Amino acid sequence: MDSADGLVLALPKGRILKEVTPLLGRAGIEPEPAFADGKSRQLRFSTNVKGLSIVCVRSFDVATFVAFGAAHMGVAGSDVLMEFDYPENYAPLDLGIGRCRLMIAEPADMVDSDDPARWSHIAVATKYPESTRRHFAARGVQAECIKLNGSMELAPALGLSRRIVDLVDTGRTLKANGLVEVEHIADVSSRLVVNRAALKTRPEEIGGWIDRFREAVDGAQA
Amino acid sequence: MSFSRNRPRIAPGGGSGPKRIMSDLEHKALLPAGLRDMLPPDAAFEAEIVERLVAFLGARGYVRVKPPLVEFEDSLLSGAGVAVSPDTFRLMDPVSQRMMGVRADITPQIARIALSRLAAAARPLRLSYAGEVLRVRGTQLRPERQFVQVGAELIGAAGPLADAEIIVTATEALAAIGVGGLSVDLTTPRLVPLVCARFGLEGEAGRMVRAALDRKDSVGVAAHAGPAAETLAALLAATGRFEDVYPRLQTVSLPDEAAEERDRVGAIAALIRNGAPDLPLTLDPVEHRGFEYHTGIGFTVFAGGVRGELAGGGRYRARGGEDDGEGERATGFTLYVDTILRTLTPPPAQRCILLPVGVDAAAAQALHEAGWVTVASLDENADPRAEAARLGCDHVLDGGVPSPVRG
Repeated sequence: MDSADGLVLALPKGRILKEVTPLLGRAGIEPEPAFADGKSRQLRFSTNVKGLSIVCVRSFDVATFVAFGAAHMGVAGSDVLMEFDYPENYAPLDLGIGRCRLMIAEPADMVDSDDPARWSHIAVATKYPESTRRHFAARGVQAECIKLNGSMELAPALGLSRRIVDLVDTGRTLKANGLVEVEHIADVSSRLVVNRAALKTRPEEIGGWIDRFREAVDGAQA
Repeated sequence: MSFSRNRPRIAPGGGSGPKRIMSDLEHKALLPAGLRDMLPPDAAFEAEIVERLVAFLGARGYVRVKPPLVEFEDSLLSGAGVAVSPDTFRLMDPVSQRMMGVRADITPQIARIALSRLAAAARPLRLSYAGEVLRVRGTQLRPERQFVQVGAELIGAAGPLADAEIIVTATEALAAIGVGGLSVDLTTPRLVPLVCARFGLEGEAGRMVRAALDRKDSVGVAAHAGPAAETLAALLAATGRFEDVYPRLQTVSLPDEAAEERDRVGAIAALIRNGAPDLPLTLDPVEHRGFEYHTGIGFTVFAGGVRGELAGGGRYRARGGEDDGEGERATGFTLYVDTILRTLTPPPAQRCILLPVGVDAAAAQALHEAGWVTVASLDENADPRAEAARLGCDHVLDGGVPSPVRG
């Protein structure tokens, strides 16, 4: 940690960031103007709160930054926390944003002939190899995962794998690619993540932020 | 390679294929994952820290024992040793034809010694140790597979005084070697299982609740805990600075045995307060990971701004083997020397002097006593100062007197 006194909050770039910003405001955090500037290349931002800075990293990396103590707190999807089960991360608060679901999907024309109960081994293209393997192992199916970082929907049409495991929000992307959801793995939403050692060594400060975010979430839902 | 004949899938020439690939791609100095060479000054610094810690424990009445690196797996992995079973390297003893394990944790070995060879020694028995452990895999936070543990075990003492002594001793040992900003997290690993049992929460639901508690995920607890939800949520809410949250924990309605556990952690905290009034204490009634085999109050020592744990321990049943039944009441701690070293800076190197060939022993002795590190020349040097600088010495012996290499 680069400072014993400063706190670092890690936020995911992209889609979720827009939803997080109003929550920050309600929790009393106003980032410097460059934060809202989409064209800025800056990755680290100061805030109106003394000692609190914000870093923007890829959503999958938030869990890693927090687990290693490089950031003290962060916002990460429960999909990410499920995929990287770091024992050093606590996820005390559901922020109620970034809601979607982790689903298994396959080509629509395959559904009629396919009986999931008979699977023993399947190939799956996914960004979530750990969660996928665990999900299938729990029902006695060996999942051979092909790790992709995006555009999973292309995999069945191009013969990479017949099934995919991916986040589904509206389902439009699936539909456009001729895929249908066949099984639900988990509901996903963004969580406030805190580093275990940080919470233990600075209980009042970190605990205070958890409370402020809780109030911000309750305020948003009221 | 006699077996290769029976294995047609291996190409003629046996294992040479993979071997050649290794030497093409990998440098000779490459070590297996998680293993490393320690170089100067780190190696000496680690040894010094270990010795100072063990000496500190010795001065508190914890006498040192030294178990072997390898022993039979059934004794190594019994009792609390079960926890490290998946992390233990095994090998077959060609002599006895039995399975042996390389220790992945030293505490089970100390318990075995206490219950066998030292069974007749007076209780309470205070033992300390220092040694290397080896694990099948590192963790993400500690990728090292071999590291040093220093620890103390207090065997045959049941009361809260013993728990407090162990916790205070662990923090004082760390403070004595210069680790600052310590705080102690107290945990009650039996509380959640007792509450779950009281409400009949088991199986898949129990597992889901456990996972949610591990992440401090109150939504997950509420979703899976059924009738236990209210109590577990109250336990979860009693996580934080001890002085703030213990009164909250006292208002939670608990089954009798769990209430006793709560009173015990309160008594221990009060005793710690007497011994170390300024030590920050936190309480975590739902912490579970790393305490699966503890039978009473556990604790973890953190330091501000340091990644990972510096020390951990707690109450367990010392068992020397399968037939020891309930075993003996014990508590103890382990100090993680690799994490501790990360928080400390090695002391500046000692003054170092290059001696010319033929310096008499008494003169060298006098320099040693004055705190010099001496390096003997093995050749006559035309320019001793240049030679001293080349070897990293900052002084030369010039006319029997130390003289700086520069200026």
